[in-house]
Amino acid sequence: MIKKIITRGLNRPIARRSFLRGAAAFGVAGAFPAIITRRAYAADAPTVVNSIRSLSNPYHATWNKGGAAFAKAVGAEYVTLVTEGNSEKGIADIKAILAKTGGNCVINVDPNDSPDARPIVEACKAAGAYVVTQWNKPNDLHPWDHDPNYVAHISFSGVPYGKAMAEALIKAMGGKGGIVALGGIESNVPAIERKAGLMQALKDNPGVELLDMQVANWSATEALEKTNAWLTQFGDKIGGIWAANDDMALAAVEALRADGRASKVPVTGIDGIQLAVEAVLKGEMAGTVAWDPFWQGGMGLAIGYNAKTGKFDPAKEPKEHREFYGTGVTITSENAQAFYDSNIKAEPTLDWNDIWGRASGQIQYS
Amino acid sequence: MTATPEELASPQPRRARRWRVASWAPVMVLVLLCIIITFINPNFMTFGNLVRISQSAMIPLVLGIGATFIILMGSIDLSVEGVLTLGAVMLSMLVLNGANANDYGIVGVFIVLLTGAAVGFINGVIHVRLKVPSFMATLGTWFIGVGIANALLGGMATRINDPWIRGLAVQRFLGFPWGVWLALFCLAVALVIQNYTRLGRYIYALGGGEELAALSGISTARVRITTFTLAGIFYAVGGILAAAQLGLGNAQIGNGRLFTTITAVVVGGTSLSGGQGSVLQTLVGVLIVVVLSNGMVLMGVPPSVQIGVQGLMIIAAVALSMDRKLMRIVK
Repeated sequence: MIKKIITRGLNRPIARRSFLRGAAAFGVAGAFPAIITRRAYAADAPTVVNSIRSLSNPYHATWNKGGAAFAKAVGAEYVTLVTEGNSEKGIADIKAILAKTGGNCVINVDPNDSPDARPIVEACKAAGAYVVTQWNKPNDLHPWDHDPNYVAHISFSGVPYGKAMAEALIKAMGGKGGIVALGGIESNVPAIERKAGLMQALKDNPGVELLDMQVANWSATEALEKTNAWLTQFGDKIGGIWAANDDMALAAVEALRADGRASKVPVTGIDGIQLAVEAVLKGEMAGTVAWDPFWQGGMGLAIGYNAKTGKFDPAKEPKEHREFYGTGVTITSENAQAFYDSNIKAEPTLDWNDIWGRASGQIQYS
Repeated sequence: MTATPEELASPQPRRARRWRVASWAPVMVLVLLCIIITFINPNFMTFGNLVRISQSAMIPLVLGIGATFIILMGSIDLSVEGVLTLGAVMLSMLVLNGANANDYGIVGVFIVLLTGAAVGFINGVIHVRLKVPSFMATLGTWFIGVGIANALLGGMATRINDPWIRGLAVQRFLGFPWGVWLALFCLAVALVIQNYTRLGRYIYALGGGEELAALSGISTARVRITTFTLAGIFYAVGGILAAAQLGLGNAQIGNGRLFTTITAVVVGGTSLSGGQGSVLQTLVGVLIVVVLSNGMVLMGVPPSVQIGVQGLMIIAAVALSMDRKLMRIVK
């Protein structure tokens, strides 16, 4: 069959012997790099892998930069896998990289959906790879049930930061007035937690009234429309706008700008993307929270890498190092300039050996 | 409403009258909506809110105009979000911005329009020359457009600092932002193309019956490619307006726009099977969709119910505007 194709391609017949000789040479040439690679993998540092949703949002793009920075620091090969919001693709890509590296890898994954974490962890354990999960996993899946391969799970509680932003907003408003709130997708855990934080802050500040809360699905376009409608409905009664993420907060700022009220009505977001930090610097936003995806992308790998290379034994670590809340950075006008200079203008410098430095308590399930 | 070829072609007054009632249904829905919302929240009918509705309507309107021409031909164009995203991202990198030293101003705008035209042209060529159904061809260019936008920005967002571009959303003329006037200008251009050019008539002819049109000597391939190119330019205008409105370009700026666009066109009474409808009807459809989403916030409809109400609205508007007596088969 192959001979037939080659014959047709060259447009002349080739002798059986020279065909076989060519095929043999081809086969040897093909096998040679395979052997080299196999040996290189055995001797080399483990491959470090980040599996994230996409590279089209600033959050995950920064995550990816953190991963690359860590890989460079330890001289490991770095691979980025992108799920594009497709759970099957996410799991299949991870299985492919496990097969390719023969399990000599460390995987830091933001699972596309909570149920995905289980097959990912099981596949890693079967292959002997080490895995760290972030944000999403089923509540009954615990790292200590899959020792030592499932090193840790990292999440961030939305409640304290949703509350901190509401408090920053209320402070900027002078402690009284009406606010409107833009929520994320109603069924998302971060959206629910951040909203709960907002509600706590409102309870503590009876002088502030929540005029309305709308769901804008994390989307700038929807947030712009909702804010426009509010400007009609409440007009000057709006003293502040709380948004569950920065994209929506920035859209609210633009709606205010079209109305000639940008930087007169304080707005807060959450996520700490560059444009939001710049808006805080300009006084158009009253605050945001940086999760520091650079840390998540790099330190997630660092934790797994140190376990894989035997620096510590995951099974001997306490539970608050196995399933923990990371620490967000609250950014307001007071520290925005310092944060901007050290995290955005320059590439952040992290101590990759300080793996538990931002662990702030074991994750609680309600 | 404007005269459709069906009207021109059918001398019987009875049939013409029936069509006309059906085509006015969306307008009646719009008026009814406005009355109900004003009744519940009188703030709806203030000048300030009309301006805000016009701001929300300007982007769906230019996108809808482009899509109307395609749907009139009986094709479909899914590349709306791709072209819009690519246009917005390119614009944000070409005019004065926060990421690089470019400051091409109006030249940048023309480059974006040309890119829109090029993507539309590619859509048309793939569709006509490779005989790929428009659904698949434009689905492909949608992803390619978003993909290029992603690659250009690497997932980040670029702030636009060009005062002229920002002025489209912020500066006003007679109380309305310049972007709204730009959208109305696009509508006027589209009306001229639809009613007073050969291309406009050919588009209706293709939608009404392509084989008949081809037998009459119309170069259907050329009409299709030209129309896709034209639609691409309108989507690029939408991209410029979207970037101006949010003051930035990012690869997610187009998310959800395709659905609004097609909904607005169909709710306005343009038939997905082609040949019936007009850009003016799309204006009505866009206003229905925008007024409804603005009104639901004003009326205090709970967020969880809003999307369901939008669905009901789509079915109601289409059901009212359809002329069932002319239809035998519904696919």
